[in-house]
Amino acid sequence: MEWVEVTGTSVDAAKEAALAQLGVEADDAEILIVSEPTKGLFGRVRGEARVKARVKPAGPRPKRNRNRRERSGAGEGGGNREGQQRPQKASGDGERQKGTAPQGNRNKPQREGQQRPKQEEREMADGMTLEEQAKVGQEFLKGLLDAYGYQADVAIRNLDDETVELSVTGDELGLLVGPRGSTLAALQDITRTVVQAKFTARTDRILVDVAQYRERRVAALTRWVQGIAEEVKASGEERPLEPMSAADRKVIHDTVATIDGVETRSEGEDARRHVVLAPSA
Amino acid sequence: MGRVHGGEVEVSEYEDGDINVVDDDDFAEEGDDMVDAGAADVPVAVTTYLAKALADSPDEVEVMASSRGDGVKISVTVAQGDMGRVIGRRGRTAQALRTLVAAAGAKAGIATNVDIVDV
Repeated sequence: MEWVEVTGTSVDAAKEAALAQLGVEADDAEILIVSEPTKGLFGRVRGEARVKARVKPAGPRPKRNRNRRERSGAGEGGGNREGQQRPQKASGDGERQKGTAPQGNRNKPQREGQQRPKQEEREMADGMTLEEQAKVGQEFLKGLLDAYGYQADVAIRNLDDETVELSVTGDELGLLVGPRGSTLAALQDITRTVVQAKFTARTDRILVDVAQYRERRVAALTRWVQGIAEEVKASGEERPLEPMSAADRKVIHDTVATIDGVETRSEGEDARRHVVLAPSA
Repeated sequence: MGRVHGGEVEVSEYEDGDINVVDDDDFAEEGDDMVDAGAADVPVAVTTYLAKALADSPDEVEVMASSRGDGVKISVTVAQGDMGRVIGRRGRTAQALRTLVAAAGAKAGIATNVDIVDV
């Protein structure tokens, strides 16, 4: 089971939630819209939007590709419930995908190396569990932290059945997070590459966090947007926020969804994708 | 590490013994603002660790550092077959490596410039 099914107040919100759950960018995911939200009286949401998403199968590895085809031929567990096998049905999202291209295709460089191992290694890799991959990533990170001279711990946290987080904790790790988490992104990138290089396995489900940066970011965003939401309620005027990553936008949507009198939508494409807070009827 | 100035100094005090820190006085004369001897240790150690982790032939990874004014230039040599691996599609892996080495440089208060060269 690789698909996640997620609901949201709008298709976009649901998609973002799904991407956040998978921990990938839009162009690394296949998203199917299961149902559009249904509006009730006064524009209230009666039925939530529902989407299914999975990490896009990629890579020239013949064995895995064959598996994918078989499975998608079999209907992919409701994926074509409404005849929507195409990924990213909405045209707007097609453009959005392009915009995240620098982030995208993150799987591909890693896959280059996959052609190299001998057959038996490949078999072994296929049987490699996420837990084993996480251990490899953990050892890699520990060694790297040593090289930096940091006294830090790397814990493996199972976020769900298919996602592990390698959580780095210690003192003064700010440099490993970097401006807007950019160094952390590089850390996650290279950890995935290393795990994949050594074991030819998919590593999309390995997340790296440093000093609870992700958690703190969520908490900070939540507090911040609660204030904005109150302002919007008081003024009755819409308020566009600055562009943010999908994960950050999800936090905004989720937070505002719990506040009466304010609603959210996403606008803009590519790097300009941003959330707008608006007073609701 | 010993000194990083005054002519060609090769230092091989790292565990693996295969990292050479070579002074390069082309750009900085004695008395200029030189990088402190030792400031490049952490960036070099991080570069080496990452390059070896990424490479299929870690034994062929060589890392050289030379001081350049207020920073350090780090040259990574890998086996020819490992170039693609260390650089990655569209330079993505190399970019991540540079970002992580830059963080190590920031820790030591120096600028870093990483070059990846094949044999």
